[in-house]
Amino acid sequence: MRIASIILVVLFSGTATTFAQNKELMYDFYEIPQSLMINPGVKTTQKWHAGIPVLSGFSFQAGSSGVTVNDLFANDGVDFTTKVRERLVNGMSRRDDFSTTSQIEGIFVGFRGKNRPEDYYSFGMYGETDVIVYWPRDLAILAFEGNGGDNIGRSFDLGDLSLRGEMVNVFHFGINRKVNNTLTVGARAKIYSGIFQFQSTGNKGAFTTTQGQDNIYRTTVNADLQLQTAGINGISDILDEDTSNTQQELTDLFRKRVLLGGNLGLGFDAGFTYKLSPQTTITGSILDLGFIYNSKDVRNFTLNGSASNEGITVFLPEDINDLDNDLWQNLVDEIEEAIPFEENDSGYISFRPLKLYGSIRYDYGQAESTFSRDCGCAITVTEGTNSDMYRNSVGAQLFMMKRPRGIQPALTGFYQKRLGRTLALKTTYTIDKYSFSNIGLGLNLQAGPVNFYILGDNLLGYANVPDSHYASLQFGFNIISWNDN
Amino acid sequence: MKRLLFQCLMALTVVCFQLSCADEQNFDQFDDLSVTPTLASSVFYLESTEEVINTAPTGTFYSQVFTFEAFNEEFVAERLLEGVILYEVENTTSKRLDLTIEYLDENDGILATDDFSIEPLPAPLLTYQVTYGPGGRSLDVLRNTTNLRVTGQNLSDNTSVSSEAEPKVVLRAAAEFRFRLK
Repeated sequence: MRIASIILVVLFSGTATTFAQNKELMYDFYEIPQSLMINPGVKTTQKWHAGIPVLSGFSFQAGSSGVTVNDLFANDGVDFTTKVRERLVNGMSRRDDFSTTSQIEGIFVGFRGKNRPEDYYSFGMYGETDVIVYWPRDLAILAFEGNGGDNIGRSFDLGDLSLRGEMVNVFHFGINRKVNNTLTVGARAKIYSGIFQFQSTGNKGAFTTTQGQDNIYRTTVNADLQLQTAGINGISDILDEDTSNTQQELTDLFRKRVLLGGNLGLGFDAGFTYKLSPQTTITGSILDLGFIYNSKDVRNFTLNGSASNEGITVFLPEDINDLDNDLWQNLVDEIEEAIPFEENDSGYISFRPLKLYGSIRYDYGQAESTFSRDCGCAITVTEGTNSDMYRNSVGAQLFMMKRPRGIQPALTGFYQKRLGRTLALKTTYTIDKYSFSNIGLGLNLQAGPVNFYILGDNLLGYANVPDSHYASLQFGFNIISWNDN
Repeated sequence: MKRLLFQCLMALTVVCFQLSCADEQNFDQFDDLSVTPTLASSVFYLESTEEVINTAPTGTFYSQVFTFEAFNEEFVAERLLEGVILYEVENTTSKRLDLTIEYLDENDGILATDDFSIEPLPAPLLTYQVTYGPGGRSLDVLRNTTNLRVTGQNLSDNTSVSSEAEPKVVLRAAAEFRFRLK
């Protein structure tokens, strides 16, 4: 029960704000070191960088492809139950989802190889939470309207139940290599340390009430449902005990799991940047090609089977001598036997949400030249020559992400402006299932060795924040040193 | 440099606050949400051949008490708003029959009785609805029911035989209840 409560809380959090994982502003924004995390093969120009611990990278994305907060909670005088029925229960489809992703970087350091200056190594650790809940349309209608009345004869699809969520800590090490003046490639290996994971995907089944063969109604259930959880039981046990040490015990548990004491997994990122011409560049990357093997603290629930019933039945003369008066309980037992609700602790593999990026960029405007300056912070910085660093870039990006119900794509057009080495701005227009009016703006500020960036999505949504389908914010601080490569 | 960063952050914050706005929201509306589904299910089915009726030595050819605690399950008892018990009686025997369903509490006290007098063939399909809740019987009848007593009585002779191929009497019972989930 506690597990269900925890999952519900996580799901509710997910429904309050919905997120996608697309980081279109960060992608190929190579002035920011964190762009290496989205394309290990991105162009790198710095000698080394070090993210300020915990502050180097924070991202938070949320989105809803269906209703917004404003749709339901606007103080518009419309009856709330009517709004829920029309906009949520009947207004959303099974493909609509609520999702959320947040990421916080603990450590991120990179440096150029001493003996192989064309190589840029980077490593670090970050935590990520990702939850997606598809709208369980038929189950919501069943709960809201029931199976009676006009719903007699309707088949409620139990497969509408689809959700997935996890919290992981990721240790990573990547190599970025400038192969030649036109090609840069990169790869990153990841070790996942799972904190908790749950998933209920690939469910099948139906609940139907029809005119009965003998009696008035016949109720039929076919169910092949599964909820897999790992790491949640331990948390719920601590919360159940509710002692004065609860907070300490939870902290210890999280610390242990963050530091490779949880369920472990492996992953891989790869990417490239290739210059088609001096001013035209294509890039691509694949992220989180990996899995976690969940073997610790596993608790799975299944509901599998089929049954039909038309209530208590007595056929005479067949049942004339049946003096058992517990027919109701027998009926309940029969159904529970036909569709057993079972638990097990079998380990399972959960795949990370695979992501793909691709882009084409055209650079134009006057190229930057070598210059030096004193940042005024007791460090004299000599910035490198980069004859192909143009002031302006335009292009398009494609993002695809594997979700439980298929590929979730997003298409972005962008314009980037560089004002010297100090300031770079990027603006994007993105269409995806959450929004057709997503305009984003990113700013990268290089003040001497200190780098600060802030990227915000769906700025038009700020006109009425509760009515926004999507929100995203990323920011961080780094220390960067430049060289001549 | 710190000053520059601070100024940038402040400028961004001010811009965001200046640009962002929000329609008035009222989250207390959630308290007004009313979720009252109607659930339908068959409850009881009795079928008896004419042969059984003829074989019984007295008028009562069937009488049985069943434990039936579906209505007083905690979930049902607490959340039931109203409901209808639907009955259908079909008789293709040559008998005039009487079928009775009694709702009994845990002490076998009779809470309510539904009685059906059925004419012999060619009797029409008898449909009957009993409403519970506002305007009908008290919901307490359902909440306190732990047993059902079903009795069938033959009000005719026990020798006549219907001209139908498979003469029988059928009693069907189903429920449609409205619950408050929220």
